[in-house]
Amino acid sequence: MALTGMRGLSVFISDVRNCQNKEQERLRVDKELGNIRTRFKNEKALTHYKKKKYVWKMLYIYMLGYDVDFGHMEAVSLISAPKYPEKQVGYIVTSCLLTENHEFLRMVINTVRNDIIGRNETFQCLALTMVGNIGGKEFSESLATDVQKLLVSSSCRPLVRKKAALCLLRLYRKNPDVNIDGWSDRMSQLLDERDLGVLTSVMSLFVALVSNNVEAYWNCLPKCVKILERLGRNQDVPQEYTYHGIPSPWIQVKTMRALQYFPTIEDPNTRRALFEVLQRILMGTDVVKNVNKNNAAHAILFEALALVVHLDAEKEMMSQCVALLGKFVAVREPNIRYLGLENMTRMLLVSDVQDIIKSHQAQIIISLKDPDISIRRRALDLLYGMCDVTNAKDIVEELLQYLNTADFAMREELALKAAILAEKFAPDLSWYVDVILQLIDKAGDFVSDDIWYRVVQFVTNNEDLQPYAATKAREYLEKPVLHETMVKVSAYLLGEYNHLLARRTGCTPKEIFIIINEKLPTVTTSTVAILLSTYAKILMHNHPPDPELQKQIWSIFRKYESYIDVEIQQRAVEYIALCNKGAALVDVLAEMPKFPERQSALLKKAEVAEVNTAEQSAIRIRSQQQTSNALVVTDQRPTEGSLPVSQLGVVRMPSGKMEASTQDQTSFQDQGMTKENGVITEVVPQDVPPSDILGDLLGPLAINGSPATAVPVEQRNQNLLSVVEATPEAAGSLALTTVDNQPNSIQPIVNIAERFNELCLKDSGVLYEDPHIQIGIKAEWQAHHGHIVLFLGNKNTSPLVSVQALILPPTHLKMELSLVPETVPPRAQVQCPLEFVNLRASRDVAVLDFSYKFGTAMVYVKLRLPAVINKFLQPISVTAEEFFAQWKSLSGPPLKLQEVLRGVKPLSLPEMANLFTSLHLAVNPGIDTNPNNLIACTTFYSESTRATLCLIRVETDPSDRTQLRITIASVDPTLTFELKERIKEYLVNIPTQTPSAVVAPSQPQSPVTPVAYNDPGAMLAGLL
Amino acid sequence: MIRAVIVMNTQGKPRLLKFYEFQPPEKQHELTRSVFAVLSGRPDNVSNFVEADAIFGPGTRLVYKHLATLYFVFVFDSCENELAMLDLIQVLVETLDRCFKNVCELDIVFNFNKMHTILDEIIFGGQVLETSSERVLKAVEEISRLEKSSSSVSFVPKSVSGRFGR
Repeated sequence: MALTGMRGLSVFISDVRNCQNKEQERLRVDKELGNIRTRFKNEKALTHYKKKKYVWKMLYIYMLGYDVDFGHMEAVSLISAPKYPEKQVGYIVTSCLLTENHEFLRMVINTVRNDIIGRNETFQCLALTMVGNIGGKEFSESLATDVQKLLVSSSCRPLVRKKAALCLLRLYRKNPDVNIDGWSDRMSQLLDERDLGVLTSVMSLFVALVSNNVEAYWNCLPKCVKILERLGRNQDVPQEYTYHGIPSPWIQVKTMRALQYFPTIEDPNTRRALFEVLQRILMGTDVVKNVNKNNAAHAILFEALALVVHLDAEKEMMSQCVALLGKFVAVREPNIRYLGLENMTRMLLVSDVQDIIKSHQAQIIISLKDPDISIRRRALDLLYGMCDVTNAKDIVEELLQYLNTADFAMREELALKAAILAEKFAPDLSWYVDVILQLIDKAGDFVSDDIWYRVVQFVTNNEDLQPYAATKAREYLEKPVLHETMVKVSAYLLGEYNHLLARRTGCTPKEIFIIINEKLPTVTTSTVAILLSTYAKILMHNHPPDPELQKQIWSIFRKYESYIDVEIQQRAVEYIALCNKGAALVDVLAEMPKFPERQSALLKKAEVAEVNTAEQSAIRIRSQQQTSNALVVTDQRPTEGSLPVSQLGVVRMPSGKMEASTQDQTSFQDQGMTKENGVITEVVPQDVPPSDILGDLLGPLAINGSPATAVPVEQRNQNLLSVVEATPEAAGSLALTTVDNQPNSIQPIVNIAERFNELCLKDSGVLYEDPHIQIGIKAEWQAHHGHIVLFLGNKNTSPLVSVQALILPPTHLKMELSLVPETVPPRAQVQCPLEFVNLRASRDVAVLDFSYKFGTAMVYVKLRLPAVINKFLQPISVTAEEFFAQWKSLSGPPLKLQEVLRGVKPLSLPEMANLFTSLHLAVNPGIDTNPNNLIACTTFYSESTRATLCLIRVETDPSDRTQLRITIASVDPTLTFELKERIKEYLVNIPTQTPSAVVAPSQPQSPVTPVAYNDPGAMLAGLL
Repeated sequence: MIRAVIVMNTQGKPRLLKFYEFQPPEKQHELTRSVFAVLSGRPDNVSNFVEADAIFGPGTRLVYKHLATLYFVFVFDSCENELAMLDLIQVLVETLDRCFKNVCELDIVFNFNKMHTILDEIIFGGQVLETSSERVLKAVEEISRLEKSSSSVSFVPKSVSGRFGR
């Protein structure tokens, strides 16, 4: 019977299917897993057939979402089975269950290789498929050559060769060392391939190679155009590759994708030929009935459009493209409309066509109301991208209207975008205020704090606007139901500017107080804090004093004097004390000073939020090109010193803190920071490009006002001096207390310093671990580039939230950290890749500020990243002649430095040689005739210098191993010095004693503790 | 590259999962669930595209096809053309249809091992390997022959698999 083969498997599958609920399913699965486990354990001589059956079951269970943590060995062992069915199962299941770094894979490398170089084509296919799916660096090292041979072999069937092409692509990606010298000629030959199956794979390989190094493949460019011509004319295309009458759409699309990696096409003949092809595609594609044919034809069309834009075609062709897109954004077929909107957004980058795009505005707005959220999103993106001063009013008002009906998933984005557009393109400021207040009113829940901070900034900085804003705020307060954010912004504005309305009806201090105070019972603590400040300000503006109003406000302050929330309690106490100071009150509670100019936190946030893809970068580039000319927060802050402390507004601090901050200030000033108004202002913000990682990373930090840590002063000096630039925002909001600061109760369970030192000498391991999280690291170093992946592993069964990772890079490293997810799901591991570029020699260390929240506990930790100088070294062997020639040419300091070290850790010469090897220094025996001496050579890589040769000589004293003399030479004096110091650290210090990272409990009272602040004034200031 | 292929039914039960970048099983499960949550909320006659950034990270896209009781989902990055991916789903579906003679969910459930074989002939390490369903079919038939000749394995014919179904 047909079922005899895998009856057990089928029975098991239908058993699972028949389970009534998840619980039953789990029981059945557990039973099966138990059974398989026992079989694997007890029956040593399990037949391949039985193994196969169990392994398939494992894969099925795995697919259902259960962890299968055993049996991997059995799956892998099937790869070595002699018969096809077992071998096949082994290969398939292994590629599903195992990761590329799994140790079991190492054991089968030889078997896999034998299958690849063997004569059996079916085995070759299986082996190639597995390697192509999960092959890692080790596979690459041992198999790349063999796979290359298969690809170019004339005796192999296309079935094998197409797999070899993609397998090679994987191996090349996993190990860029794969030798592809001379591949440009070979690639060019491969592109002549007649078999379209092989050509499909070759084209993918080609795209990967070209994306890495376009210069090497110019010779292939005409070949690509030839392929397009061949397919376009339908020459020599077998029926099986014609898809609804269209010759292989995939190859056409991939080829056009490949062409987009070439910056331009210079050869006029090639260019003309290509444009003929493109023209034919643009002209000859119609929307037809058959959905599949439609998709295939338009796949080609949209790729052609992208290529035309990339090649910067003549205006005529561009207009033709926009016209086509205009047609697409109006069609009913949703996929085409979706892509029409998306590609039109991309077109915004092209000059001269904006006006044509604008002519489709009405049509695009219709898509904003489409039943499909994907299309609505695209329409929103396009409207956002095409907005400028001329159409801002229309578009923003359209967005505001849409806000009423928009789905919840989109409201926050919509609100943010409307706020940004209003800010960037406002024809006048009062319109801007109107828009933001409407936004808050309509979609308060979706308006982030940044939005109302920003409107307050504008109003504060533009005196003309203040009476208008205050009037508006007063009007909104009349509404019976008001969103809390609206209460906040109204109260803030009226607190600051109520005196500007004094003559109007219903606007006496008392009336304003009463209408605001109606909201007090309904608001949360953060708003109560703002209301208290507003009352204090109303009281201050109350001339002549109204005793009754005073009494009322005081009674409220008194009520909150013993309030459970410290922030509010403190405000109440202080405002009462201030009220008794008489005239001083006026000084202390004077209007907030103007905010210094800075990039909008909103724009920053939008940049962070925007997806990092080539497609969408179009919008970003445009938003960077268009500076917000309509609204600028003017920087009219008084020069330093002329501002008396008493004008600090509501930001005050006890004297003890003042002193501390002054101390802080001195250390910051060296770094180009000045501080005033209790706010540290970066003096050099212009030097930081908008895309700068610091800026982006600091955005959220400032906004969240996340609890900061206490770093001991000496620690700061040791580790953070070079990175201190990044800390002032955290330290900036000097404040009295914080509401949600909690000391760290969670301690690491590894020695962080030790881990760091170990990782300086090797490339993977654990960087940090505590009861909740483990942070692992895996690094790869290639010349001056470094690639580190942080593995954030949640050890709990509940998620870790508010995860933040900020990097404070020293000046000699350029870094890029990919987005860190805010939440690490239970028992999951998240990978965060991190790229380094070394700019010059320095021993400074990059520090990772990592924090997360578990339950109510906030954990905050500073970790040094092992991107140290020796990682940018590559060992090199030199001959004695080369060595001595160099050694002599570098004479004396500062190029050659010598130092006698005492108190050295006693190491035998082989031990020292090992240490040097792990520091990437190649020990060259035989150059120095004295056996007690050690010669090592290495090359140092940085972006500017590339390879710099460094020579090291260590002379040891066999009778006293605690002293030695070290001489280091290179053409770069900084490098010589830094390298000598680095090596010295390893020879002299016992590394574990160097303090590295601390898990510092947050201590709000500690003098140097920067504390998050809850006051809107300070938060606004923090935004700056 | 293509990051993942997910076939699941309209109740959200996974029928075929293939991730071209390793994901631990809990993560796979979570991703599948999130995809299902998004897809099940979509009406018919809308586009086949869904932004997948929130689920699979920045820059990822998702196309899907809803056929009878199944969702066919491809997740990929910005290096691929969306419509070409949609076509590729069609190739997969056509191949399955020819392979199982009017494919239905049960075929896929009971022959999930064969699904892997077929998928491996279409997508290889996240790259498009073959787009001609004739060629895929030929390769798969060759494999079936090999399996049969070396042992008594065969696929579950529909008449029999029906017995196990509900």
